[in-house]
Amino acid sequence: MGNPKIRIALGILAIVIGLAVVGKIASFLVSHEYREPFRVAVGAEDATPREQGVIDEKAEAEKKAMATPYVEPDYRAFPKIGSRVAVWVAAQLHLLFAAFVLAVPLFAFIIEAIGVFTKDKRYDRLAYEFTKLLSVAFSMTATFGAALTFLLIALYPKFTMYLASVFSPTFLPYVGLFFFEAFFLYSYYYGWGKFHPYVHLFLGFMLNLVGTSIMLIANAWVTFMTSPAGVSEKGAVISTWDAVHNFTWMPINVHRFIANIAFGGSVAAAYAAFKFLQAETDEERAHYDWMGYIGNFVAIIAFLPLPFAGYWLAKEIYAFSQTLGLTMMGGAFSWLFIIQAVLIGNLFLAANYYLWLGMGRVEGHNPFQKYIKYLLIGITLCFMVWATPRSIIATVSEVRAMGGAVHPILGFLGVMSAKNTAVNILILTTYMSFLLYRRTGKVATVAWAKLGNALQLGIFATAAIFVIFLGVYGYFVEARVRIGLSVPQVSSVLLAMVSITVIDVFLYAGAKKTAEVRWGKIPAASQYILIFIAVTFTWLMGLMGYVRSGLRQHWHVYGVMRDTSPDAFTPTLGFATIVVSCTVLAFFLLIGFVFWLASLHDKKDWAAAGTASADAHSTHGSGGRH
Amino acid sequence: MKIPLIPRLAALVLATTAFYTYVGQLVPQKEVHPPVEIVLKKDMDTTEMAKTGRELMDGKGLCFTCHTIGKKGVLRFPDLENVDVRAKTREAGLSDVEYFAQAMYDPDKFVVPGFNPGMPHINKPPIGLSDDEILCVIAYLQSLGGTSTVTLQTKHAYNQGAAAK
Repeated sequence: MGNPKIRIALGILAIVIGLAVVGKIASFLVSHEYREPFRVAVGAEDATPREQGVIDEKAEAEKKAMATPYVEPDYRAFPKIGSRVAVWVAAQLHLLFAAFVLAVPLFAFIIEAIGVFTKDKRYDRLAYEFTKLLSVAFSMTATFGAALTFLLIALYPKFTMYLASVFSPTFLPYVGLFFFEAFFLYSYYYGWGKFHPYVHLFLGFMLNLVGTSIMLIANAWVTFMTSPAGVSEKGAVISTWDAVHNFTWMPINVHRFIANIAFGGSVAAAYAAFKFLQAETDEERAHYDWMGYIGNFVAIIAFLPLPFAGYWLAKEIYAFSQTLGLTMMGGAFSWLFIIQAVLIGNLFLAANYYLWLGMGRVEGHNPFQKYIKYLLIGITLCFMVWATPRSIIATVSEVRAMGGAVHPILGFLGVMSAKNTAVNILILTTYMSFLLYRRTGKVATVAWAKLGNALQLGIFATAAIFVIFLGVYGYFVEARVRIGLSVPQVSSVLLAMVSITVIDVFLYAGAKKTAEVRWGKIPAASQYILIFIAVTFTWLMGLMGYVRSGLRQHWHVYGVMRDTSPDAFTPTLGFATIVVSCTVLAFFLLIGFVFWLASLHDKKDWAAAGTASADAHSTHGSGGRH
Repeated sequence: MKIPLIPRLAALVLATTAFYTYVGQLVPQKEVHPPVEIVLKKDMDTTEMAKTGRELMDGKGLCFTCHTIGKKGVLRFPDLENVDVRAKTREAGLSDVEYFAQAMYDPDKFVVPGFNPGMPHINKPPIGLSDDEILCVIAYLQSLGGTSTVTLQTKHAYNQGAAAK
């Protein structure tokens, strides 16, 4: 593959195949357009010669077509895969790229700001490295956004027009913001190192502000479909603002904002892992190891409060409609949350494993490694509890033996009391892993070090005992009390994490370094873990996107506009997971392309054979201020 | 032979998605179709109405998303076993028919002690049962611990009956 002629030939071949595929799709779509068949009336005898008959038929068909009045169809069908799957895939790909484009500027901006204020050039380079991924991803976002819009107009014209009638006042601001997004994104990227650092930071801030505003508008359209407001029972618009500010709008805004950061961090860490595995020098490995660590750190920090944002969203769904809430948690979608538990359990396991492997970066003996086995036991137990279903798929004889579909012992672990407890302990344990990682190679020197450690351990233990106590207590109280217990559980975990962090900051201020962190000295397995985390996050987003949208079942707009298309049914979870997987694979194929384009930035400039190619290293790759 | 990086990464992405797809196939597979519209005959008797009421509760009414019949223990929504017995005395001045009608047309007016409000308005979307369909559901509810008495001509406070507000 090293021969440039072969590469050129393969490139041309790929383009030809690509064009052929597009042509084939276009011809398929055109040839499968529905046409009214011509039928001869029963019993009719036609003595017209064939040639004349064909001419007459054509003329008659044209005449009929000319006389046909225009009727707006409610639906049009997408060939083979159906309209729903077509819109589903386009919407999910748009959302994945949009999440990436919204999240990366957020932490690029924060990292750049750290670099500006600490005057540490490494942060500037890191922030630039993240930003390099944005421009192509932005084009992808716009492309899939356009695809989604056209598909909606073409396949669901009546529904799309209804949404337009409710939200038309938001369209122009959306377009305006999109223009500003492009302006700030490109000026932020191309202006790296060209302006005063504060001016550049301002561009980054505006990019984030505009990006978030775009998300808020798009979220209004989406959430209105689930929890409509501002319209009459028959769907007439009463207040656009009420339609925007519906029950689930703000919880989705918060949930998506946090989830985008987690997702963006994980994909950026996957990029760093890819570069680490490609790296040829220790310096490159050290840089990309650090980049991967920061990306994963961003992802995990954002991931920890995500279940709490999820609780809030679920609470608002229940507040809007108990029926909708119960459809989600107790009806057709309840098993989806078992799949979700497997995904989140894997994320926690992988994130902890990465942190434990990271302890190896620090030279010499690591006194904290002996605790890892206990953390692993804790995480595994919580994972098992969380993934235990309430009712078990069993044969008739097994059901008889159990005395019902609920297992006499395991059934107790399948209810919310156990699951809430498990996820809260899981979060606390992961936080503990991070804390141990942070302390590796350091010794606190403050006079109150012992007291500080004891206090932190005390807070951790108190929070864990309190969470478990409330979990057990939930089995003995009525439903309305039990539902309310999740709030103190969540609050105690948040409070513990915040207070332990505050103590830790002061405890390790001016700590003595006992060993150096050797960036790049980490097993290659850690980099595959980062990619695994990114794929799992992406898959999780696809799955949760499905439940959010599928929850409406046979409604376009829940309770207001019914879905009467052939796709109005809710598919099996097996089918949904296949669509999610196809979307995830398509996303990684495309994001691989983005990574490849971004890595071209650092490649040497092309030079004809015999010229001084070695000296022609791209100056573009140096990336700004460093 | 060392496998090049790109195929290794592609294999990892494929294996991860394949694993989650496999997990998705392990859980129960159920396609949920929109509720089938039941055409009510104008000359239905009370027995037929109760049978139709049960079908409506299973399907369009979505009643069993929340309610149960014969389930004990700590429940999120009232169990409906022998509900007619309780309905006759639940609210002073309301017959079982009036009570059931109120529970479906105006569910927040009375909430069973120990439970949170949460019952949707059954005559409005997304459930949207018609007046006659609600009468069928009442016929079935009466049969749980009592005897069905309603007909399609029965009037109550919410279908312009004698006691209409």
